[in-house]
Amino acid sequence: MPFRIAKGHRQRTRWAYAAFLALPVILFTAVYIYPLVYSVTMSLHSWDGMSPQWTWIGFGNYSSLFDDERFWTALGNNFRWLIFELLAPTAFGLALALLLNDKLKGAGIYKTLIFLPFTMTPIAVAAFRRWIYDPSKGVAEDVLGAIGLGALQQNWLGDPDLVTYSIMFSSLWWKTGFSFLLYFAGLRSVPQDYIEAAQIDGAKPWVIFWRITFPMLWPTTIVVLGISGIDAMRVFDLVQGMTQGGPYNSSHVLATLMYDVSFQRFQMGRGAAIAVCLMIVAMVIVLPYIIYMSSRIEDVRE
Amino acid sequence: MTRNNDIWRHALLILAALFFIGLMLIAVFASFKTSEEMLTPLALPERFYLGNYQQAFVDLWRPLLNSVAITVPALLLSILVGCLAAYPLSQMGAKAGPGGYIFLLLGMFIPFQIIQIPIFIIIRAMGFYDTIYGMWVVHLALGIPFCTFFMRNFFATVPRTMWEAAQIDGCGAVGYFFKILMPASISGIAALAIVQSRGVWNDLLFALTLTRSPDASPVTRELYGMVGAFQIEEGPLMASAIVSTLPMVLVFLVFQKAFTRGLLGGSSK
Repeated sequence: MPFRIAKGHRQRTRWAYAAFLALPVILFTAVYIYPLVYSVTMSLHSWDGMSPQWTWIGFGNYSSLFDDERFWTALGNNFRWLIFELLAPTAFGLALALLLNDKLKGAGIYKTLIFLPFTMTPIAVAAFRRWIYDPSKGVAEDVLGAIGLGALQQNWLGDPDLVTYSIMFSSLWWKTGFSFLLYFAGLRSVPQDYIEAAQIDGAKPWVIFWRITFPMLWPTTIVVLGISGIDAMRVFDLVQGMTQGGPYNSSHVLATLMYDVSFQRFQMGRGAAIAVCLMIVAMVIVLPYIIYMSSRIEDVRE
Repeated sequence: MTRNNDIWRHALLILAALFFIGLMLIAVFASFKTSEEMLTPLALPERFYLGNYQQAFVDLWRPLLNSVAITVPALLLSILVGCLAAYPLSQMGAKAGPGGYIFLLLGMFIPFQIIQIPIFIIIRAMGFYDTIYGMWVVHLALGIPFCTFFMRNFFATVPRTMWEAAQIDGCGAVGYFFKILMPASISGIAALAIVQSRGVWNDLLFALTLTRSPDASPVTRELYGMVGAFQIEEGPLMASAIVSTLPMVLVFLVFQKAFTRGLLGGSSK
């Protein structure tokens, strides 16, 4: 039976909705919109973080930044992190989830063990890994020796060509559990009868994966890639905890460089300029994704 | 043939589990070793030496309390505010349009660096620098986009007929939200709480930016100070790292299911 809502009632509901939105909108504006504008303005000034005086220098912060080798190293590292985060933990997590998907004995135990590192606080991960990599303590050396690869021992965090990859490897160890768990949950929504039908038709496992399983996992993959992508732009804790950007500034990412410039050297304008660059890069990468996401979400609703 | 297949799977999974858990065990062993024993990092501790943990608790009890005092209220407030925003958004449906959505997603995906300096300045101007309330305000506000996004997806799964029935019974929008929708959404709120608590507890960036003294420093900042110290003693450091991360590990082990649901953003069942 259809029913009608009185006009006054609908009006009142609309006011109630506006009231519900007021506080969140104020807070959102205060913490996101206003600071964003503030940072952009600050990046056009020179300021030490203390004095009341802001000096307008136009694009001076940007031009000196673009002459600074450290900036390009950090930006390059962010791109390396991006490629790494999109591919490595995603593929590894998916592979593990596929291995575990069937009703295997002890599945719960495997699941917990694989996921456990991800529950750790990143700075605690950095503390562990820094000790393990330290050549004077010899932990990595002993581990490699124990599995017969002692000859591969390097100065993991001391070699400028190697350091970023060493930190990435720690990130792989820490973060694979996350994509693994999402894929593990996603695989349960893949209807088993599709796969069984294909098996009866004699399809190879590889074909079943590419034609059935992987397309059905696409929604999970979108979530994993989105989160990994933005994590790559935000990466801070592991680098700051393990090397603080060293040795010789070789492992800096934009986030650690910005922290160093703003809060160690108190060049706030220059730090803001780094932040603006980071945001522009992140937006160029993330915006198409956001538009795609929001179109999908509307699809789901209808 | 299936049996053979299973053996392969077990073999590979055991290798993987060793990779993930092996390094963790080295650190756990280290936390029970005396400084002489640290020279053989892979060996088991001879006897379970508890001195490292004693020291870790002496160093960390205050920061741990601070972390709890920051996380719990910030978490409750940001979930409440997220629910407030999510409710009208879920009711307005497509009319609210992708505009509101893009805003939320932008908030979720923006690099924190762009707001880091202004937030430092705002918090300092409010007199909240190096206080626990300052951290509440920041984490409350930072959590809004994700909490709103999550709860909106959750509310959208609540059948519309519930709202219609409530209206017939003379229930307004406010009454419906507090008396019917919120109690019916406890499972979603719990999942959100677990995911969100991880973000607040783990935060190092704003802890470094906004706190300094033992009165307000959370455990992440304290641990950061230990890692960067000139003379590092690994036994106590590993014990400290374990102590600082243990609350989150326990939360995960107890609420594993809700955690998974929460990671999926409430959108998938």
